[in-house]
Amino acid sequence: MSFTPRRVRSVAAAALTVGLALGIGACSAKKDGGGSDSGAGGSARISLSYFGTPGFTQAVKDFEAANPSIKVDVKNEGQTKDFTPKLAQQLSAGSGASDVVMLEEGMLLQYLKDNKSFANLLDLGASSLEDEYLAFKWKNAFTTDGKKLVGLGTDVGPLAMCYRTDLFQKAGLPTGRDEVSKLWPTWADYIKQGEAFKAKNTGAAWIDSATSIMQPYIMQNSDTWFYDKSDKYIGDTNLAVRKAYDLSMDMAGKGLTAKLQRWQADWDAAFKNAAFATVPCPPWYTGVIKERTGDGGKNKWDIATIPGKGGNWGGSYLAIPEQSKNKKAAFELVKFLTGKQGGLDAFKEAGPLPSSVSALADPSLTGATNDYFNDAPVGQIYAGAAKELKPIYLGPKHQALWENAFEPAMQAAEQGKLSAQAGWDKAIKDSKALAEG
Amino acid sequence: MTTNVEVARPRHGRKDPVTPPGRRSVRLGGLDLRLSPYLFVAPFFLLFAVFGAYPLVYTAVLSLRKNTLIGGDAGFVGFENYRKVLVDAHFWTVIYNTFGMFIVATVPQLILALMVASWLNKNMRARTAIRMGVLVPNITSVAAVGIVFGLIFADRYGLANWLIQSVGFDPIEWRNHRWSSWTAIAFMVDWRWTGYNALIYLAAMQAIPKELYESAALDGASAFRRFWRITVPLIQPTILFTVIISTIGGMQLFTEPLLFNYGRIQGGSLNEFQTVAMYIYETTFTNNYNVGKGAAISWLLFLIILIFALVNFLLVRRSVRGNMT
Amino acid sequence: MSTMTRTATPQPAPSAPENPKTPKRRSRRVRSASAALWQASPLTYLALIIAIVLSVFPILWSFIVASRDNSAVTAIPPPLTPGANFFSNAARVLENTDANFLYGLVNSAVVASSVTVSVVFFSTLAGFAFAKLKFRGKNALLLIIIMTMMIPTQINIIPLYLLMVKLDWTNTLQAVIVPFLVQGFGVFMIRQYAESAISDELIEAARIDGASTWRTYWSVVLPALRPAAAVLGLLTFMQTWNDFLWPYVVLNGDTPTVQVSLNILATGYYKTDYVQVFTGTALAIVPLLIVFIAFGRQIIGGIMEGSVKA
Repeated sequence: MSFTPRRVRSVAAAALTVGLALGIGACSAKKDGGGSDSGAGGSARISLSYFGTPGFTQAVKDFEAANPSIKVDVKNEGQTKDFTPKLAQQLSAGSGASDVVMLEEGMLLQYLKDNKSFANLLDLGASSLEDEYLAFKWKNAFTTDGKKLVGLGTDVGPLAMCYRTDLFQKAGLPTGRDEVSKLWPTWADYIKQGEAFKAKNTGAAWIDSATSIMQPYIMQNSDTWFYDKSDKYIGDTNLAVRKAYDLSMDMAGKGLTAKLQRWQADWDAAFKNAAFATVPCPPWYTGVIKERTGDGGKNKWDIATIPGKGGNWGGSYLAIPEQSKNKKAAFELVKFLTGKQGGLDAFKEAGPLPSSVSALADPSLTGATNDYFNDAPVGQIYAGAAKELKPIYLGPKHQALWENAFEPAMQAAEQGKLSAQAGWDKAIKDSKALAEG
Repeated sequence: MTTNVEVARPRHGRKDPVTPPGRRSVRLGGLDLRLSPYLFVAPFFLLFAVFGAYPLVYTAVLSLRKNTLIGGDAGFVGFENYRKVLVDAHFWTVIYNTFGMFIVATVPQLILALMVASWLNKNMRARTAIRMGVLVPNITSVAAVGIVFGLIFADRYGLANWLIQSVGFDPIEWRNHRWSSWTAIAFMVDWRWTGYNALIYLAAMQAIPKELYESAALDGASAFRRFWRITVPLIQPTILFTVIISTIGGMQLFTEPLLFNYGRIQGGSLNEFQTVAMYIYETTFTNNYNVGKGAAISWLLFLIILIFALVNFLLVRRSVRGNMT
Repeated sequence: MSTMTRTATPQPAPSAPENPKTPKRRSRRVRSASAALWQASPLTYLALIIAIVLSVFPILWSFIVASRDNSAVTAIPPPLTPGANFFSNAARVLENTDANFLYGLVNSAVVASSVTVSVVFFSTLAGFAFAKLKFRGKNALLLIIIMTMMIPTQINIIPLYLLMVKLDWTNTLQAVIVPFLVQGFGVFMIRQYAESAISDELIEAARIDGASTWRTYWSVVLPALRPAAAVLGLLTFMQTWNDFLWPYVVLNGDTPTVQVSLNILATGYYKTDYVQVFTGTALAIVPLLIVFIAFGRQIIGGIMEGSVKA
């Protein structure tokens, strides 16, 4: 080996120095972990884990200002698909989870079934808050026996359709939001407009992905999806699911979809590159669009009504893991973020529509416009729709069934790797196996 | 080479204790002589027992139980988990992918490494700098490789597609086909490991007596012929050694395909590039959080690696014997 | 340089027809043929330069993207020259409280150093015993060690994770240190080296001087093993620094290693701030790059030597 003694000594010395120098301060090089220290009545430090773009930054600041004794560590956990497995591990480990965790609706439903890892918010003082929330949102977070409340709702997702005015103009379509809304009273009309748009060869697709209309369509036309209310798998027999699937494949077959996969890098970049003209958008989605399209896309997006009518997409909850050592302070945070002030802050910051009734009635919300979206009157558009929302029963493993089984098969069909029928068969087979596994 | 020593050792070793230790033991405590070796190797075996052997056995135990991360243990179920895995087409898909990607990555990698090694095996300037240049990918982390190549191979806005388009071809949707995703992933693996293997081959090549080449050259053998007839046969044990190492690595492929698809554990809409290791993770830490089934897949993977290594081992041994005679 | 070579040897000698007439002539020819045989041709240089460009480019490119702003990421054609934003980007990465990048770097240094020191110590200890000491069951034990090299970490991930849960070690550094304190490869490598590097006479002499086995190890064997130990240390350090799967499973953003920080950046910020992700990538590579530049010759020597021995 080509080692000179001096070299050897310097290697060893370097290794040792690094080892020793750092070994001393070793494991303490971190702030408080998930459990956090409970400052008995005094100051407390709690952590909050979120995914996506919920717009918590200002709300947390306001919370800390209102509760000077509580400090909040805010953690961005990426997307649901990154956060879900981490959280499951942390809960099973009994440590490592934040004091407050954001749960997607689908995740919440799974944890309603398996709720031992979460605190009962009724015990922490939530029982008096019922009137503060939209009724279906409140009810959704109860266990089947109605005795345990696992989460409080942050936001709801009444649907609208976002569209790019620049592409519409290029294709000779109207650009004003009222006229655009009139273009597509039904989904069939929406597809027809898509074909007209495509004929103009703008270089952009009509919609990002065939899978994007599944959620709106099913939410509008059914009160169940993969499960009936006794948690039996009905994905194969639920007519709304099949109809939505056929509609999606019709669009894909006509070449109206950009074949993108939501939440992936190319999809992110496609916003910036104006690769598609429309996308169904619940309120929280406006933040997603703005974040990805960037400053250059200001005033290029606008908001019209959704084909069909009504429908909810998404909306999250905040819950407190049983392992939290500071549930009291955690509950204060949950109450604040899902309450009026927190809801309004988030709405202003990233667009999600609060599930707090008093926030929804607040003039600062109902009168709000979104200056990124051509000053669209988002308050009026969404708050009106929110009151009409009807709950849909999703069942325990909805999120996994959709994201890990149904959606991939559908994408395969959209990409032309499977025929529409083969895609359906696979989607059903895989989701059923997962539901029953 | 491994076996060279291995095959030769046992015979020697057995003889040694027979030889009496002689005067030494009189001068030193016999206890020290008898005990020290065990004390010296004990830390390894103790730590390995706790963090290597015990988990291995525990995996086997878990694989025979119904157990989920969320629901906890629900009793002994015999080989039910194995049965479920083996009848699941998904399992065979990921086996196919793992082996396919292993071959697609390893064959060009080792051939390229051989070529690079033969280039390096010359007198040249800046020898160390050149060797470092070839080895530098090996020091980057898999995570970094995944991130950088994830963008290079982005479907629409990536560097690779830009190059492909600028020479007049259609852009490739890297993640939508088996062949394209395998190619991209093989590229990531090979980028990181070709230089490393080239250095290993280079070491073996340098041990070949130069006169062999010189006399072959005098006999009019072309460079290719010399390479094929002298270099390759003589470093065959090393080639097999790298094949074994690559096998163990290839069977465990996880991070590259994961980050290639931006952290999506399913690897493609039809699992085109999901590996066994990713499937284990998906089964255990997502969906149904099925620890029992995940453990069963883990053991199956272990068995596959063992069989593979055994086959390789036998090949090595045969080739070493062949070389000796 | 390449032109010089070209003018010096216009026709590569090996292809010249061989027609020896006298022994004297032949020997001269052999010499020139042999020299040409081993001299790198311009083509060889060219091939190697291409190989090096391909090797270096992705690393270079991550630094290029890291020194620009976000428009660089989707720009077509992609930028190939550095920008001026590297330090402001780096500041953004280091201030990111989700990824805790600075902790990640420090933790990785702690973890990699601890594992390295331990692996080197236990490997030299056991490697010496296997190479030079006599004890019953030696060969069986050595075989076990070789077999441990074939157990992939992944197979043990589930039980190891459950074990960490039981010990309450998740999200602690010991979870990524303690299970890796020993390594079959290290023992094997040192044993192979010690076989040839340490003569039996050396040990015999130490014994005659009355040194205990431990003393022999510490003052005679260890110094003689230093080259191999240093290489093992470097390889272990790099490998531990780069380890991904296990830290990904057992750690979170509160106690990250640098790879975990990087993954948090990648999953959390890919959508909006690519450049931050790339800057993180570049920052994670820098420490190893420094080690590599400082000790490249040793690392190369180690890989080559290790392979011949193994």
